[in-house]
Amino acid sequence: MTSRLSRRHMLQLASAGVAAAAMTTPSLLRAQDSFPNRPINVVVPFDTGGYNDRLARAFAPFLQEELGQPLTIINRGGAGALLGHMFFMQQPADGYTILCTSAAPYLPLNILTQDATFSYDDFYMVNLPSQDYTLLATSADSDLQTIDDVIARLKEDPGSLSIGIQAASADLVNLSILADANDIDFDALRMVTYDGGGPARNAVAGGVVDIGLVGGEGFLPLREQIRPLLTFDRRQRDDWEGAIVTDVMGEDARVVVGSQRGWGLHATLQENNPEAFRILSEAIEAASKNPEAIAALEAQQLATEWYGPEESNKMLAETAEVMEQYLHLLQGQ
Amino acid sequence: MIELDAVSAAFALLSSDLSAWLYLLPGLVIGLVFGAMPGISITMAMAFALPATLYMDFLPAIIFLTAIYTGAGFGGSVPAVLMNIPGTSSAVATTFDGYPMARAGRHNEALGVALASSVLGCLGSYLMLFLLIGPVSGLVLKLGPLEMFAVAIWGMLLLGSLAGTYLARGLLAGAFGVLLGTVGFNSAGFIRGTMGIPWLLDGVPQIPAMMGLLAASQLIGLVNTTYLITDESARKISFGKTLSGIRLTFRFPWVIMRGSIIGVLIGAIPGVGSSISNLLSYSETRRNSDDPDSFGKGNPAGVIAAEAANSSSEGGAMGTMLALGIPGGGATAILLAAFAMHNIVGGPSFIANNKDIVYALIFSNFAQAVLLLFVGLGFVYVASYIVRVPLHYLIPSVLVVSNFGAYAIEGSAAGPITLWVFAILGWAMLRYGYPVAAAVVGLLLGGLLESNLLRTYQISGGDYVDYAVQRPGALIIFALMLGSIALQAVSKRRRASKLSAGKPE
Amino acid sequence: MSSKPRRKVVWGHLVLLSVIVVTVIAYLLDARGVSTLPTNLLLIQPLSIFALILAAFILPGVFPRKDAAKEPVAGETRLELMRCLALIAALGLLAFTLERIGFDVATFLFMVATMAICGERRWWVNIGFSALFTILLIYGYGTITPFPFPLTVL
Repeated sequence: MTSRLSRRHMLQLASAGVAAAAMTTPSLLRAQDSFPNRPINVVVPFDTGGYNDRLARAFAPFLQEELGQPLTIINRGGAGALLGHMFFMQQPADGYTILCTSAAPYLPLNILTQDATFSYDDFYMVNLPSQDYTLLATSADSDLQTIDDVIARLKEDPGSLSIGIQAASADLVNLSILADANDIDFDALRMVTYDGGGPARNAVAGGVVDIGLVGGEGFLPLREQIRPLLTFDRRQRDDWEGAIVTDVMGEDARVVVGSQRGWGLHATLQENNPEAFRILSEAIEAASKNPEAIAALEAQQLATEWYGPEESNKMLAETAEVMEQYLHLLQGQ
Repeated sequence: MIELDAVSAAFALLSSDLSAWLYLLPGLVIGLVFGAMPGISITMAMAFALPATLYMDFLPAIIFLTAIYTGAGFGGSVPAVLMNIPGTSSAVATTFDGYPMARAGRHNEALGVALASSVLGCLGSYLMLFLLIGPVSGLVLKLGPLEMFAVAIWGMLLLGSLAGTYLARGLLAGAFGVLLGTVGFNSAGFIRGTMGIPWLLDGVPQIPAMMGLLAASQLIGLVNTTYLITDESARKISFGKTLSGIRLTFRFPWVIMRGSIIGVLIGAIPGVGSSISNLLSYSETRRNSDDPDSFGKGNPAGVIAAEAANSSSEGGAMGTMLALGIPGGGATAILLAAFAMHNIVGGPSFIANNKDIVYALIFSNFAQAVLLLFVGLGFVYVASYIVRVPLHYLIPSVLVVSNFGAYAIEGSAAGPITLWVFAILGWAMLRYGYPVAAAVVGLLLGGLLESNLLRTYQISGGDYVDYAVQRPGALIIFALMLGSIALQAVSKRRRASKLSAGKPE
Repeated sequence: MSSKPRRKVVWGHLVLLSVIVVTVIAYLLDARGVSTLPTNLLLIQPLSIFALILAAFILPGVFPRKDAAKEPVAGETRLELMRCLALIAALGLLAFTLERIGFDVATFLFMVATMAICGERRWWVNIGFSALFTILLIYGYGTITPFPFPLTVL
């Protein structure tokens, strides 16, 4: 793309952004001389309506208040976020394009299984507030009462329970860890693969599959129709009953975090434009800690917790490492 | 079932803020215009309006968004009838008879029929929602892969009726469509047939492919014609004809009722919805008709079947959203987000605790359906001027619009490139007697068919029969399907014998 | 069987059928190359084979007898066919260039070219309408889609 083209491109964006700003924020009061002096694009590598899209749209009013410039949400869904991540990487690293994505599991999946042209080092995560976890659950009227029932049944006959799960997911890795820890033959498990978390959860709630392992946050609206049996985390999450991993696999139990979602920048921005880098990072931090933002996001069951860049990037790196160890699980069942 | 207290509370809610009703009209108009633009999905229209609702009160916000939903649902039928463009997958079956009607100069009538059946379908679906919201939603979650596979097979039966003169070519077109529909990731995580192109990982982009197969291919074939309707005297814009189309619709109460029931039931299934219901309804109507051969050539009953089903899917999807708190598709996901913005969380407890809001929503949708009749009349009147536009303006314009739509829905050149490839394929198929519609149906159902066959295989461990006996629901669907086929065979034979009796050899 | 000299070849149909057959075979081979597990081939393999059998049944239709009923494409002049092909070429050019040269330029050029192909002889009408429609579309679609269209002039 020529520079002339991208300037036009930005002009067009500016007008769209102003329109968007007129709709969402009545007043934008910042000075126009320093960064940012024009609207900022937020790339969401998923279609409208998904978690990241809702997170970006709900958070945008508070972030643009901090930045003094309107934000334009750009949805580039497809191919497990690969297309959106590629698009983000193609944009100039000038701070005028930021990313709101499910960094895990999609960055590792793109890199490990889809021959992506980027690497982890190309991304810098400012904050990953949403730390989803795998929840093993069954239908509310199932005869399986505890995780011990499940393990006992699977030990006796690994094919005795049908297991709803997504292919190439953190949930699958967690299932494999659980099976190994309990001497259950993983390859003999009767897995039923779903194309997304939603359909898999519905199958669990409706008793179509005996048990399911899916991201736990998405189960919240179905709370009354399911029975949580095991949370794949070291602490209790979202008030789910049932066991947590350390109950079942001991203190040194390993788990993979599910989706880690939040805000990212081009890694090169740190050297190219430290000023923009600092302003963006601080704005995201300030907006994340804004009580109004927290209230608004919580109302929509969206996460706002502030972990900060260091913690966020570390968590992502850990997930990536475990996923790499289980690469064979991520390439088709 | 119906709680009168809640009903009167709903009326109180609706009349508490009369200014909320001011959003009804703009919502419908935005929906109609967006829906009529190829490639602009209902979800996009609603996402576009979502930020504006942030600063509204709850009631106006929801009225505004659901009015867009209703408007956009019908908007898609206009290009389907006039230009054979299914701007959304829910308008595919509308093109089968709507477009032939338009080509024959019955465009006013076709639009009238489409409008009236949309309105009736929408009314019917909300009426059913009003009466049955609880029980139906309980069933939705119980649907397993075998039931879904049965639904997909039911849709595939349509191929038989689309085949046309050459059965083998029809079946090949359908099989080819299904195969193309399985390209990319399958649910077990295998990647096939992408030729290393990243955007094919999600499969062939459906809507650009359908626009290419159905619309662009037609336009290429029309390049040597001067007007959409050859007969100059038939190129009239007649309000009276549109009204007579509306009247005509009322002569097919069974078609509407069947369409609405199929629409609500299929629409309630998350992730399937209106894109399948219109095909099923069309297929059933054709099978049960006295004159199946007139379908595909401009039979208004075909338009009615498709439109009644796709617009009643809205009620079904709303039912699932309200009762379970899970979105069946993008549009209901946006509605849930809007609910959340106003601190209202969907889910099983939602209906129990907020009956007044649920009923208010249903009543406001009754009002929307009625208002749609009037707004829609004006809209189709204006839109039908397209038939007067000479083709040397229309062909370039519509191709460009399809191209923009294809880009808009994919967000990259993947859309236009798909449109182009499938336009060529569709054009060639038309020339050599392959039914394009069969390929479209295959493409639409391919993914559904494969993933549910796969899950049935996984869940049964390969023991299909053993598993099937445990799923009475699936058996009922298969039985209904066989029954419908048997009935058709019987009535066909009866007709044939009547015919031969009347006509001495 | 002395039907040999009495058959002709419908070349276009032959091309179409070949494209379908080659695509089906290539897809099946590609899928088998990924994995031969049933979770991969459950539907694809039997359906591909079914499609190939159907194609074999259709093949004689590509070589109809000279006295057989006419195929659907009858009475079409060479000029008319050229127009169709020109339109297809223009649509392809549009699809492949619009991100590179901008939607505005690509769309405008496409409109001018296709209006000419469709028989608009008055160049001022052609250019005027094309420009107007391009502007309308870009601003119309530009405001409602959730991402920008790459532009060069506008």
